[in-house]
Amino acid sequence: MFTRGSLLYIGQRLILILFTAVAVSSIVFLGIHRLPGNALLNERHPDPAAQAELLHYYHLDLPLAQQYFLFVGGVFHGDLGESLVNRSVQITPLLLREARVSAEVGGAAIVFTIGIGIVLGVIAAVRQNTWVDYVATTTSVIGYSMPNFVVASLLFLFFGIYFYKWTGGTIYYNSGWTGSWGTLDQIVVPGFALGFPYASIVARLTRASMLEVIRQDYVRTARAKGLTDRIVIIRHALRNALIPVVTILGPLVIGIVTGSVVIENIFGIPGLGKEFATSILQRDYNIVIGLFTFYAIIIAAANLLVDLLYTVIDPRIRY
Amino acid sequence: MATAPGLVTPEAYVDTLAREQSSLWGDAWRRLRRNRLALASTVFLTFVILVAIVAQFWLPYSYFAEGIAPIYQGPTAQHLLGVDDLGRDILSRIMLGSQVSLKVGIGTQVIVIAVGVVVGLIAGFYRGVVDTIISTIINIFYGIPDLLVALVLVLLLGRSLGIIIFAIAFTQWMTMARLVRGQTLALREREFVEAARAGGAKANKIIFRHILPNALGPMIVQATIGVPMAILFEAFLSFLGLGVPPPTPSWGAMAADGFHALRISPHIVLAPAIALSLTLMAFNFLGDGLRDALDPRQKR
Repeated sequence: MFTRGSLLYIGQRLILILFTAVAVSSIVFLGIHRLPGNALLNERHPDPAAQAELLHYYHLDLPLAQQYFLFVGGVFHGDLGESLVNRSVQITPLLLREARVSAEVGGAAIVFTIGIGIVLGVIAAVRQNTWVDYVATTTSVIGYSMPNFVVASLLFLFFGIYFYKWTGGTIYYNSGWTGSWGTLDQIVVPGFALGFPYASIVARLTRASMLEVIRQDYVRTARAKGLTDRIVIIRHALRNALIPVVTILGPLVIGIVTGSVVIENIFGIPGLGKEFATSILQRDYNIVIGLFTFYAIIIAAANLLVDLLYTVIDPRIRY
Repeated sequence: MATAPGLVTPEAYVDTLAREQSSLWGDAWRRLRRNRLALASTVFLTFVILVAIVAQFWLPYSYFAEGIAPIYQGPTAQHLLGVDDLGRDILSRIMLGSQVSLKVGIGTQVIVIAVGVVVGLIAGFYRGVVDTIISTIINIFYGIPDLLVALVLVLLLGRSLGIIIFAIAFTQWMTMARLVRGQTLALREREFVEAARAGGAKANKIIFRHILPNALGPMIVQATIGVPMAILFEAFLSFLGLGVPPPTPSWGAMAADGFHALRISPHIVLAPAIALSLTLMAFNFLGDGLRDALDPRQKR
């Protein structure tokens, strides 16, 4: 699987990831430092000496170019600086901790997305132009027409309020977080809300590519050999039908990352998305810059993984 | 009609005549009319547009007057959709909110089409180095988290309708550009373009008279699908508190405002949420219908 060429390709991509991370954080860094005001200036320090002291502490009194070099140097050491609002909170460990939480929810969402999406898509394709197909395709249009906060509020309403006795309020979350977050039943609802719109897109794609594959000769051959429908669909057709579906995985990861900003705020999940919204509204620009750098790395890495997945799922593709 | 082959009855003759005369657009229109979901969506969207126009001149109640009924009150005869957490009439706010959604949806697509057409045509028509550079830029834009970039743009440039439209267009133009580029690449090799070039037509004329009109179908479909995406974006921004500044009502912000009271008065969230979902759904169904109508070969 790994030839010399593909190793070279991976190397190139890794360099590109590093470059993207630096480029994204630089743009955000320079853009944000042009903004008037920051979290410190909002506090109206009466004493100019204290104010100067504070600015000096965060290197905000240095010229922008020098600040920038300090920042980039920090990025290469994995150090994203300190929070402007909560002093002495180091950003890198904070984000890593929150990333674990987000990864749990996002992982659940991806499992939902791919699971529901592929199952719906295959069923719709196999029963093309029957009521099953119409229900599945209409559901998927409804699915990606509903903003995830609408899905979330409906789930909230049903599981949190109407079915309270049944769920026992498991979808209410404590804000005090002890370090290990989330039991399985707590993750299910936000994971579903996060993944459902994308599940609809996956279902659509799966259906379309399944319909194409089902008509091919080798599938007919498999049928002619006397294999059961189930084996033909799962082993022969689905395998090739999934190749176009893999293309959606890159955008899917981006969608989950951005969607988590909304979902984590609704459910009060202490992850990266909640931190993003909070820090933007609090003007904690150090965290905003750090988060963007972090996101850039995650997304670039996810795209690389998807590319590699391609070669695994479709051996005809070589880099 | 069961007739022997070769024998043309008068009716069939008329039928063939009629069919020969139908243009691409007439054909597409006929197919679209047969699609019930698309037709229902068109009717619904016409209704939304009418509401937006009416809201400009008349509202049942003022959209910003607070405390005109007990706060959190559910639907009553006076206030059909109830009132919100500040005692404002929700129906009036939803009516006015449709303006924001439509402006964002359509305004964004106007920018996206303008930028996408120019960039796509240049890349597709001139190819070579220009194309490589443009394609690389497009790929870089695809790799960025669109919502987050739009958020930061709004943060950097300020909260106003124009800037929100610009920020959303900034994260969405690539799809249109790539589409136009692909269409141009395919069309410029076709015989009629060859013929035009042989006839001495200049590049300008070939692009605007021959290539662009033929790429129009997929572009319309793409723009129709782009509208709900833009509306969704605005709703996200509003929901996170970075949308159109209050008191101008936006559906996303209205849903966000009611979220803390979901238990006692779900109607505050549900009314804008349903309005938003129905509108998005209608645009998506219409987009699907248009795709099937304009390109029957690509029937999914």
